[in-house]
Amino acid sequence: MNSRKDNKNSISGIVSRKVSGKDIATIGMMVAIIEVCKYALAFLPNIELTSFWLIMFTLFLGWKVILVVPVFILVEGCVFGFNIWWFSYLCAWPALVLLTWIFRRQTSVWFWGILSGAFGLCFGLLCSIPYIVAGTAGGSLQNGLYAGFTWWVAGIPWDIIHCAGNFALMLVLYKPVCTVMKKFL
Amino acid sequence: MNEQKTDGQKKANKKIIIGIAVLLIAIAAFSGIYFLFGAKPVAGSKSITIEVVDDRQETTAYQLQTEVEFLRQAMEEAEGLSFSGTESEYGMMVDTVNGLTADYNTDGAYWSFYVNGDYCNYGIDSQPVLDGDIFSIRYTLATP
Repeated sequence: MNSRKDNKNSISGIVSRKVSGKDIATIGMMVAIIEVCKYALAFLPNIELTSFWLIMFTLFLGWKVILVVPVFILVEGCVFGFNIWWFSYLCAWPALVLLTWIFRRQTSVWFWGILSGAFGLCFGLLCSIPYIVAGTAGGSLQNGLYAGFTWWVAGIPWDIIHCAGNFALMLVLYKPVCTVMKKFL
Repeated sequence: MNEQKTDGQKKANKKIIIGIAVLLIAIAAFSGIYFLFGAKPVAGSKSITIEVVDDRQETTAYQLQTEVEFLRQAMEEAEGLSFSGTESEYGMMVDTVNGLTADYNTDGAYWSFYVNGDYCNYGIDSQPVLDGDIFSIRYTLATP
């Protein structure tokens, strides 16, 4: 049973799979859910459900999330412009999906709360990568590291809020959302 | 059977406690880095320049001698410079400078803030002012 599931989720399985109309609709729904939640919580600084949904979609919908992440990042770029922060998203969100996929057999709400919280805490660090690259391209590696470091340090209080928010939201929502998703998927 | 289950539960609980402890240690470490390396305001007299670059790329410069610690207070002190915006958890989000409004929802325009040529890492309420700083407030269009 597990090996069949593994084959379905393996890289070769994903590459050889054809994307059906239903898959496209599902991917569209996933991106819509993420965007709606993002706008609904926009008034709360660094409290978001994007991390939660990407974890849940990776756990329940498997390979389809590989297409959700680029579509979501593209939509964000189209709405807010393709500035340096957009490249930060290219680093951060795929990293979360990859981590979730690696630990996909975990079922403990605490585990996912800790992982989601840790991701929130490290979000600024992941997002500083493009600033390091830009600083290096514009000067030297030292300039790049300085630019990335100062940018990351400035946002640490917000990363801590992000961590607490992700942790709490996962603890509250994981079980009810799991129940609903198990019922309908 | 029950004992095995209890042992398994104990192990699981131990892992959860370790995980939470690691997360708390990481938060403490990050906080330490912030207090050690985060930008700090400096008291005393400072000589600074604030430049405003409008939508026609015309620059107006304001030079001032100030004792303030943060950019917002310096902007309030700069004679001839007017600005307004909306207050948020991040501090004031400036939308109008010298009567010119940058409306992101209409044309993707916003006011960007630079210090000594680099993008400001802080909002105007928490951006420290240091002696010799040159601040630049630029009317910027988003590039979709």
